[in-house]
Amino acid sequence: MISIHCSKKTAQSFFMETKIKEPIYIGGVPTYDLYLEKFPNQEYLYVNSIRAKELPAGTNYQLIEPTLFGYFDEICQLFNDNTEIEIQDETYLPLSIQVNGKYVFKIERESTTFTVDTELGLSEIRDISNKIERVFKFKIIPLLKRVGLYD
Amino acid sequence: MTRWELTKFKVQQSSEGVVTPTLNFEAEIIIPEAYKSFMFIYNGKQLTVNGSEIKPEYLAFEIKLKLESLLSSSLIRELSKHSRKVEYLRGFSLRKISVYAEGTLANLRYVYNDKFLEFGSVLIIPPYKDWSKLCKVPLTIKTNAVSNVKSLYELLVEICRSAVTVYTNVNTVNEILKVLLKEIGV
Repeated sequence: MISIHCSKKTAQSFFMETKIKEPIYIGGVPTYDLYLEKFPNQEYLYVNSIRAKELPAGTNYQLIEPTLFGYFDEICQLFNDNTEIEIQDETYLPLSIQVNGKYVFKIERESTTFTVDTELGLSEIRDISNKIERVFKFKIIPLLKRVGLYD
Repeated sequence: MTRWELTKFKVQQSSEGVVTPTLNFEAEIIIPEAYKSFMFIYNGKQLTVNGSEIKPEYLAFEIKLKLESLLSSSLIRELSKHSRKVEYLRGFSLRKISVYAEGTLANLRYVYNDKFLEFGSVLIIPPYKDWSKLCKVPLTIKTNAVSNVKSLYELLVEICRSAVTVYTNVNTVNEILKVLLKEIGV
Protein backbone atom coordinates (compact mmCIF):
# COMPACT_ATOMS: atom_id res chain seq x y z
CA MET A 1 0.00 0.00 0.00
CA ILE A 2 1.15 3.51 -0.79
CA SER A 3 -0.30 6.60 0.83
CA ILE A 4 0.37 10.22 0.05
CA HIS A 5 -0.76 13.30 1.90
CA CYS A 6 -0.90 16.38 -0.29
CA SER A 7 -1.31 19.94 0.84
CA LYS A 8 -0.82 23.12 -1.17
CA LYS A 9 -0.06 20.96 -4.21
CA THR A 10 3.01 19.38 -2.59
CA ALA A 11 3.54 16.01 -0.93
CA GLN A 12 3.63 16.70 2.81
CA SER A 13 4.19 13.06 3.64
CA PHE A 14 4.09 9.64 2.06
CA PHE A 15 4.39 6.00 2.97
CA MET A 16 5.39 3.31 0.52
CA GLU A 17 6.17 -0.36 0.98
CA THR A 18 8.78 -1.99 -1.25
CA LYS A 19 10.43 -5.39 -1.53
CA ILE A 20 14.03 -5.90 -2.55
CA LYS A 21 16.08 -8.94 -3.51
CA GLU A 22 19.46 -7.55 -2.38
CA PRO A 23 18.99 -6.74 1.31
CA ILE A 24 19.80 -3.48 2.98
CA TYR A 25 21.49 -3.83 6.35
CA ILE A 26 19.47 -1.94 8.91
CA GLY A 27 21.03 -2.13 12.37
CA GLY A 28 23.17 -4.94 10.98
CA VAL A 29 20.09 -7.00 10.02
CA PRO A 30 19.60 -7.89 6.35
CA THR A 31 16.22 -6.42 5.48
CA TYR A 32 14.15 -7.26 2.40
CA ASP A 33 10.83 -5.61 3.27
CA LEU A 34 11.15 -1.87 3.30
CA TYR A 35 8.89 1.05 3.94
CA LEU A 36 9.87 4.42 2.66
CA GLU A 37 8.52 7.52 4.33
CA LYS A 38 8.58 11.25 4.21
CA PHE A 39 7.20 13.13 7.19
CA PRO A 40 5.45 16.53 7.17
CA ASN A 41 7.72 19.55 7.13
CA GLN A 42 10.82 17.41 6.60
CA GLU A 43 12.72 17.04 3.37
CA TYR A 44 14.33 13.73 4.28
CA LEU A 45 13.68 10.18 3.20
CA TYR A 46 13.27 7.57 5.89
CA VAL A 47 13.71 3.84 5.32
CA ASN A 48 12.11 1.64 7.96
CA SER A 49 11.95 4.67 10.26
CA ILE A 50 15.66 5.46 9.92
CA ARG A 51 16.89 8.49 8.07
CA ALA A 52 18.07 7.16 4.72
CA LYS A 53 21.40 8.95 4.72
CA GLU A 54 22.41 7.11 7.90
CA LEU A 55 22.12 3.71 6.22
CA PRO A 56 24.87 1.97 4.24
CA ALA A 57 24.77 3.53 0.72
CA GLY A 58 22.98 6.43 2.43
CA THR A 59 24.71 8.98 0.23
CA ASN A 60 22.97 7.49 -2.80
CA TYR A 61 19.60 7.70 -1.07
CA GLN A 62 20.25 11.27 -0.02
CA LEU A 63 21.12 12.23 -3.59
CA ILE A 64 17.75 11.09 -4.93
CA GLU A 65 15.68 12.78 -2.19
CA PRO A 66 14.91 16.04 -4.04
CA THR A 67 14.05 14.24 -7.29
CA LEU A 68 11.94 11.64 -5.49
CA PHE A 69 10.01 14.26 -3.53
CA GLY A 70 9.54 16.23 -6.76
CA TYR A 71 7.87 13.19 -8.34
CA PHE A 72 5.47 12.87 -5.41
CA ASP A 73 4.79 16.61 -5.75
CA GLU A 74 3.83 15.97 -9.38
CA ILE A 75 1.04 13.72 -8.14
CA CYS A 76 -0.06 16.36 -5.63
CA GLN A 77 -0.26 18.96 -8.40
CA LEU A 78 -3.53 17.25 -9.33
CA PHE A 79 -5.20 18.36 -6.10
CA ASN A 80 -5.89 21.84 -4.80
CA ASP A 81 -6.95 20.95 -1.28
CA ASN A 82 -5.74 18.84 1.60
CA THR A 83 -5.78 15.40 0.02
CA GLU A 84 -5.03 11.85 1.17
CA ILE A 85 -4.51 9.28 -1.55
CA GLU A 86 -4.22 5.55 -1.06
CA ILE A 87 -2.66 3.67 -3.95
CA GLN A 88 -2.42 -0.04 -4.61
CA ASP A 89 1.25 -0.96 -4.76
CA GLU A 90 0.85 -3.64 -7.46
CA THR A 91 -0.89 -1.45 -10.01
CA TYR A 92 -0.17 2.12 -8.81
CA LEU A 93 -3.88 2.84 -9.16
CA PRO A 94 -5.76 4.87 -6.53
CA LEU A 95 -7.94 2.94 -4.10
CA SER A 96 -9.24 6.03 -2.34
CA ILE A 97 -8.99 9.79 -2.41
CA GLN A 98 -10.04 11.98 0.50
CA VAL A 99 -10.28 15.72 0.11
CA ASN A 100 -10.42 17.72 3.35
CA GLY A 101 -11.23 14.52 5.21
CA LYS A 102 -14.13 13.50 2.96
CA TYR A 103 -13.93 10.59 0.54
CA VAL A 104 -14.43 11.71 -3.05
CA PHE A 105 -13.40 8.35 -4.45
CA LYS A 106 -13.31 4.94 -2.83
CA ILE A 107 -13.00 1.35 -4.00
CA GLU A 108 -14.17 -1.36 -1.64
CA ARG A 109 -14.23 -5.10 -2.10
CA GLU A 110 -16.57 -7.48 -0.34
CA SER A 111 -16.22 -11.10 -1.35
CA THR A 112 -16.39 -11.07 -5.18
CA THR A 113 -18.07 -7.68 -5.48
CA PHE A 114 -16.29 -4.38 -5.99
CA THR A 115 -18.03 -1.14 -5.08
CA VAL A 116 -16.78 2.19 -6.37
CA ASP A 117 -18.16 5.39 -4.88
CA THR A 118 -17.10 8.52 -6.63
CA GLU A 119 -18.02 12.15 -6.25
CA LEU A 120 -15.62 12.85 -9.09
CA GLY A 121 -16.67 12.04 -12.62
CA LEU A 122 -15.28 8.89 -14.22
CA SER A 123 -13.39 11.05 -16.75
CA GLU A 124 -11.61 12.83 -13.93
CA ILE A 125 -10.85 9.54 -12.18
CA ARG A 126 -9.39 8.20 -15.43
CA ASP A 127 -7.15 11.28 -15.80
CA ILE A 128 -6.01 11.15 -12.15
CA SER A 129 -5.28 7.41 -12.23
CA ASN A 130 -3.41 7.67 -15.55
CA LYS A 131 -1.22 10.43 -14.15
CA ILE A 132 -0.47 8.58 -10.89
CA GLU A 133 0.24 5.32 -12.71
CA ARG A 134 2.60 7.07 -15.13
CA VAL A 135 4.51 8.91 -12.38
CA PHE A 136 5.07 5.67 -10.47
CA LYS A 137 5.87 3.44 -13.45
CA PHE A 138 8.14 5.79 -15.33
CA LYS A 139 9.62 8.01 -12.64
CA ILE A 140 9.41 6.87 -9.01
CA ILE A 141 10.03 3.14 -9.50
CA PRO A 142 12.98 3.51 -11.94
CA LEU A 143 14.56 6.04 -9.55
CA LEU A 144 14.16 3.72 -6.55
CA LYS A 145 15.49 0.81 -8.59
CA ARG A 146 18.59 2.81 -9.46
CA VAL A 147 19.60 3.05 -5.79
CA GLY A 148 18.44 -0.44 -4.79
CA LEU A 149 15.30 0.55 -2.92
CA TYR A 150 13.00 -1.38 -5.27
CA ASP A 151 13.17 -4.64 -7.20
CA MET B 1 -51.17 16.05 -16.88
CA THR B 2 -51.51 13.02 -14.61
CA ARG B 3 -48.52 12.47 -12.35
CA TRP B 4 -47.10 8.98 -12.66
CA GLU B 5 -44.15 7.14 -11.21
CA LEU B 6 -42.10 4.27 -12.49
CA THR B 7 -41.47 1.69 -9.77
CA LYS B 8 -40.20 -1.30 -11.72
CA PHE B 9 -38.46 -1.94 -15.01
CA LYS B 10 -36.83 -5.28 -15.65
CA VAL B 11 -36.11 -7.26 -18.77
CA GLN B 12 -34.28 -10.54 -19.06
CA GLN B 13 -33.68 -13.22 -21.60
CA SER B 14 -33.11 -16.71 -20.34
CA SER B 15 -31.79 -19.55 -22.44
CA GLU B 16 -31.22 -22.03 -19.66
CA GLY B 17 -32.53 -25.47 -20.59
CA VAL B 18 -34.51 -24.21 -23.59
CA VAL B 19 -33.85 -24.21 -27.33
CA THR B 20 -35.38 -20.80 -27.94
CA PRO B 21 -34.43 -18.09 -25.43
CA THR B 22 -37.38 -16.58 -23.59
CA LEU B 23 -37.74 -12.88 -23.15
CA ASN B 24 -39.48 -11.59 -20.05
CA PHE B 25 -40.31 -8.05 -19.13
CA GLU B 26 -41.98 -6.42 -16.17
CA ALA B 27 -42.68 -2.78 -15.57
CA GLU B 28 -44.83 -1.11 -12.97
CA ILE B 29 -46.23 2.37 -13.19
CA ILE B 30 -48.23 3.91 -10.40
CA ILE B 31 -50.49 6.92 -10.37
CA PRO B 32 -50.28 8.14 -6.76
CA GLU B 33 -53.27 10.51 -6.79
CA ALA B 34 -55.60 7.77 -8.07
CA TYR B 35 -54.01 5.01 -5.94
CA LYS B 36 -53.67 3.00 -9.14
CA SER B 37 -50.94 0.61 -10.08
CA PHE B 38 -50.33 -0.82 -13.56
CA MET B 39 -48.22 -3.91 -13.95
CA PHE B 40 -47.06 -4.56 -17.49
CA ILE B 41 -45.79 -8.01 -18.34
CA TYR B 42 -44.37 -9.33 -21.57
CA ASN B 43 -43.77 -13.09 -21.60
CA GLY B 44 -42.30 -13.42 -25.06
CA LYS B 45 -45.71 -13.70 -26.68
CA GLN B 46 -48.20 -11.38 -25.05
CA LEU B 47 -48.00 -7.95 -23.54
CA THR B 48 -50.46 -7.52 -20.70
CA VAL B 49 -51.42 -4.80 -18.28
CA ASN B 50 -52.81 -6.00 -14.96
CA GLY B 51 -53.49 -9.35 -16.63
CA SER B 52 -55.35 -8.05 -19.72
CA GLU B 53 -53.73 -8.41 -23.11
CA ILE B 54 -52.80 -5.19 -24.83
CA LYS B 55 -54.05 -4.98 -28.41
CA PRO B 56 -53.18 -4.59 -31.22
CA GLU B 57 -50.50 -7.30 -31.21
CA TYR B 58 -47.96 -5.23 -33.11
CA LEU B 59 -47.48 -3.18 -29.94
CA ALA B 60 -46.07 -6.26 -28.25
CA PHE B 61 -43.76 -6.74 -31.23
CA GLU B 62 -42.67 -3.10 -31.07
CA ILE B 63 -41.90 -3.45 -27.36
CA LYS B 64 -40.05 -6.72 -27.99
CA LEU B 65 -37.70 -5.06 -30.49
CA LYS B 66 -36.91 -2.30 -28.02
CA LEU B 67 -36.32 -4.78 -25.21
CA GLU B 68 -33.97 -6.76 -27.41
CA SER B 69 -32.00 -3.63 -28.17
CA LEU B 70 -31.54 -3.11 -24.41
CA LEU B 71 -30.17 -6.63 -24.14
CA SER B 72 -27.73 -6.02 -26.99
CA SER B 73 -25.98 -3.27 -25.04
CA SER B 74 -22.20 -3.14 -25.40
CA LEU B 75 -21.98 -3.25 -21.60
CA ILE B 76 -23.62 -6.69 -21.59
CA ARG B 77 -21.13 -7.75 -24.27
CA GLU B 78 -18.38 -6.41 -22.02
CA LEU B 79 -19.70 -8.51 -19.12
CA SER B 80 -19.76 -11.58 -21.37
CA LYS B 81 -15.97 -11.29 -21.73
CA HIS B 82 -15.69 -11.98 -18.00
CA SER B 83 -17.97 -15.03 -17.95
CA ARG B 84 -16.55 -18.43 -18.82
CA LYS B 85 -19.96 -20.05 -19.07
CA VAL B 86 -22.11 -20.43 -22.16
CA GLU B 87 -24.79 -17.76 -22.16
CA TYR B 88 -27.85 -18.66 -20.12
CA LEU B 89 -29.04 -15.23 -19.02
CA ARG B 90 -28.81 -11.61 -19.97
CA GLY B 91 -30.69 -8.82 -18.35
CA PHE B 92 -31.23 -5.12 -17.97
CA SER B 93 -33.11 -3.47 -15.13
CA LEU B 94 -33.54 -0.26 -13.25
CA ARG B 95 -32.89 -0.47 -9.54
CA LYS B 96 -33.20 1.92 -6.63
CA ILE B 97 -35.63 4.03 -8.62
CA SER B 98 -36.18 7.37 -6.87
CA VAL B 99 -38.69 9.93 -8.02
CA TYR B 100 -38.11 13.63 -7.48
CA ALA B 101 -39.95 16.68 -8.74
CA GLU B 102 -37.15 17.26 -11.26
CA GLY B 103 -37.09 13.71 -12.58
CA THR B 104 -36.47 10.05 -11.89
CA LEU B 105 -33.09 8.68 -10.94
CA ALA B 106 -32.16 5.02 -10.97
CA ASN B 107 -29.31 2.56 -11.10
CA LEU B 108 -28.80 0.78 -14.38
CA ARG B 109 -28.08 -2.91 -13.92
CA TYR B 110 -26.66 -5.02 -16.73
CA VAL B 111 -26.46 -8.79 -16.31
CA TYR B 112 -24.75 -11.56 -18.21
CA ASN B 113 -25.06 -15.01 -16.61
CA ASP B 114 -23.90 -14.58 -13.01
CA LYS B 115 -21.98 -11.37 -13.76
CA PHE B 116 -23.47 -7.96 -13.16
CA LEU B 117 -22.58 -4.33 -13.49
CA GLU B 118 -24.73 -1.75 -11.76
CA PHE B 119 -24.19 1.97 -11.66
CA GLY B 120 -26.13 5.03 -10.72
CA SER B 121 -27.73 7.22 -9.90
CA VAL B 122 -28.45 8.08 -13.49
CA LEU B 123 -31.16 10.48 -14.59
CA ILE B 124 -33.70 8.30 -16.39
CA ILE B 125 -36.71 10.58 -16.77
CA PRO B 126 -36.08 12.93 -18.50
CA PRO B 127 -32.79 11.58 -19.89
CA TYR B 128 -29.60 13.67 -19.85
CA LYS B 129 -29.54 15.95 -22.87
CA ASP B 130 -25.78 15.57 -23.05
CA TRP B 131 -24.70 11.90 -23.33
CA SER B 132 -21.20 12.63 -22.03
CA LYS B 133 -22.61 13.81 -18.70
CA LEU B 134 -22.49 10.23 -17.42
CA CYS B 135 -18.71 10.55 -17.02
CA LYS B 136 -18.92 13.86 -15.20
CA VAL B 137 -21.40 13.11 -12.43
CA PRO B 138 -21.00 11.31 -9.07
CA LEU B 139 -21.69 7.59 -9.42
CA THR B 140 -21.75 4.41 -7.41
CA ILE B 141 -20.63 1.38 -9.37
CA LYS B 142 -21.00 -2.23 -8.27
CA THR B 143 -19.76 -5.26 -10.12
CA ASN B 144 -18.74 -8.87 -9.62
CA ALA B 145 -17.42 -9.19 -13.15
CA VAL B 146 -13.78 -8.44 -12.41
CA SER B 147 -11.30 -10.02 -10.06
CA ASN B 148 -8.74 -7.26 -9.55
CA VAL B 149 -8.31 -3.50 -9.38
CA LYS B 150 -6.65 -3.24 -12.80
CA SER B 151 -9.64 -4.90 -14.50
CA LEU B 152 -12.00 -2.78 -12.43
CA TYR B 153 -10.36 0.38 -13.78
CA GLU B 154 -10.67 -0.99 -17.32
CA LEU B 155 -14.38 -1.52 -16.69
CA LEU B 156 -14.75 2.07 -15.40
CA VAL B 157 -13.15 3.29 -18.63
CA GLU B 158 -15.55 1.03 -20.56
CA ILE B 159 -18.56 2.63 -18.82
CA CYS B 160 -17.34 6.02 -20.02
CA ARG B 161 -16.62 4.67 -23.49
CA SER B 162 -20.17 3.31 -23.53
CA ALA B 163 -21.74 6.63 -22.51
CA VAL B 164 -23.51 6.89 -25.88
CA THR B 165 -24.87 3.35 -25.48
CA VAL B 166 -26.12 4.15 -22.00
CA TYR B 167 -27.73 7.29 -23.34
CA THR B 168 -29.40 5.20 -26.08
CA ASN B 169 -30.55 2.63 -23.49
CA VAL B 170 -32.12 5.34 -21.34
CA ASN B 171 -33.85 6.78 -24.38
CA THR B 172 -35.15 3.29 -25.26
CA VAL B 173 -36.54 2.98 -21.72
CA ASN B 174 -38.34 6.28 -22.27
CA GLU B 175 -39.70 5.14 -25.64
CA ILE B 176 -41.06 1.95 -24.05
CA LEU B 177 -42.62 3.95 -21.22
CA LYS B 178 -44.24 6.25 -23.76
CA VAL B 179 -45.99 3.28 -25.38
CA LEU B 180 -47.06 1.87 -22.01
CA LEU B 181 -48.35 5.22 -20.72
CA LYS B 182 -50.39 5.69 -23.88
CA GLU B 183 -52.03 2.32 -23.22
CA ILE B 184 -53.25 3.42 -19.80
CA GLY B 185 -54.31 6.82 -21.07
CA VAL B 186 -51.65 8.92 -19.35
